[in-house]
Amino acid sequence: MALTLTINSSSPPLGALLAAEHVKTSVKVSVKEGKVTKLHVSDTVGFSDVNSMTRYLARVAPGLGLYGSNMLEQTEVDHWLEFSACHLCGALGSSLGDLNNALALRTFLVGHTVTLADFCVWGALKANGDWQAVENKAKDFPHVSRWFSFLASQAPFSSVGDRWATEVASVKANAPKE
Amino acid sequence: MALRELSSLEKFLGLKKPHKYSTQGVKKVPLLQSNNGPALVGLATIASHLAKEAKKPELLGTTPEQRAVVQQWLEFRVTRIDECPREEIRTVLKDLNQYLEDKVYLAGNSLSIADPLLYYAIHHIVVDLAVQEKERYMNLTRWFDHIQHYPGVRHHLAPVVVLRNRVYTSCHH
Repeated sequence: MALTLTINSSSPPLGALLAAEHVKTSVKVSVKEGKVTKLHVSDTVGFSDVNSMTRYLARVAPGLGLYGSNMLEQTEVDHWLEFSACHLCGALGSSLGDLNNALALRTFLVGHTVTLADFCVWGALKANGDWQAVENKAKDFPHVSRWFSFLASQAPFSSVGDRWATEVASVKANAPKE
Repeated sequence: MALRELSSLEKFLGLKKPHKYSTQGVKKVPLLQSNNGPALVGLATIASHLAKEAKKPELLGTTPEQRAVVQQWLEFRVTRIDECPREEIRTVLKDLNQYLEDKVYLAGNSLSIADPLLYYAIHHIVVDLAVQEKERYMNLTRWFDHIQHYPGVRHHLAPVVVLRNRVYTSCHH
């Protein structure tokens, strides 16, 4: 089974790219650039939403535990996927405070290893202009800052960040203000 | 206690053949008689030797700065924690808590030999902390929980229950 992930490089789905990078040892996923973001599963089935793509990738590689290791953790992962889609796109408002509290006693968002929750929340933050503005003021959200830079230093995050996120930043910088 | 700790460390490092240790003096300083050379004395020295023997030098730090930080924490453990009188332990916990606010591991973003050794050293203290205190030292608690769940570290010690959501949020902000 060969999967193809086509991505729109002006707004790359960072969460899905991170998931693809993590599962590539057990599933073959090829990444191509194109006009619209889509994960092609078969001739008739494809996913275009970041959360659907990451969920599918985690499920075809169950051995990696990217979807948590029990039902409670799966539910927590779902919570963070929704959080990343609803509260981390556009103005951040109180979401950073909530995220900071959640990370106070945690190294990873769910369980004791990296999961989809980390991919999607990290990806959404990385692409968010509001976060880039506060990123260097670590004092305001110490736990988010620690978690964010810890993940950024880990192998798949650093390669995905270097390859794709710089493009997001340059596109954002050139885009006219709304 | 140091001897059980060294045998857990050997397992964590993946060393198949256990070493025979003895102790020296009133303070029971661990001693390792090596086959080719003089005896090695002291916890930090033996631990560093084991990491090299297991061919995991990255656990001693990869850059010169990181290597220095790892040695600093090994020394901190032996001098500040092991020698600490009971009534002063809270000050040490407070300092550690502050240091760990922006770090996942003692030496930054990757695990070093200092993490399991400090974990072994403060386990008996953290076991006795009340829920409220664990939250007061929340960065320390978070680090502790992460290390006790790190594959292969815990061995001879009992797991410590750690709350992963804050209960007393309104008290100190």
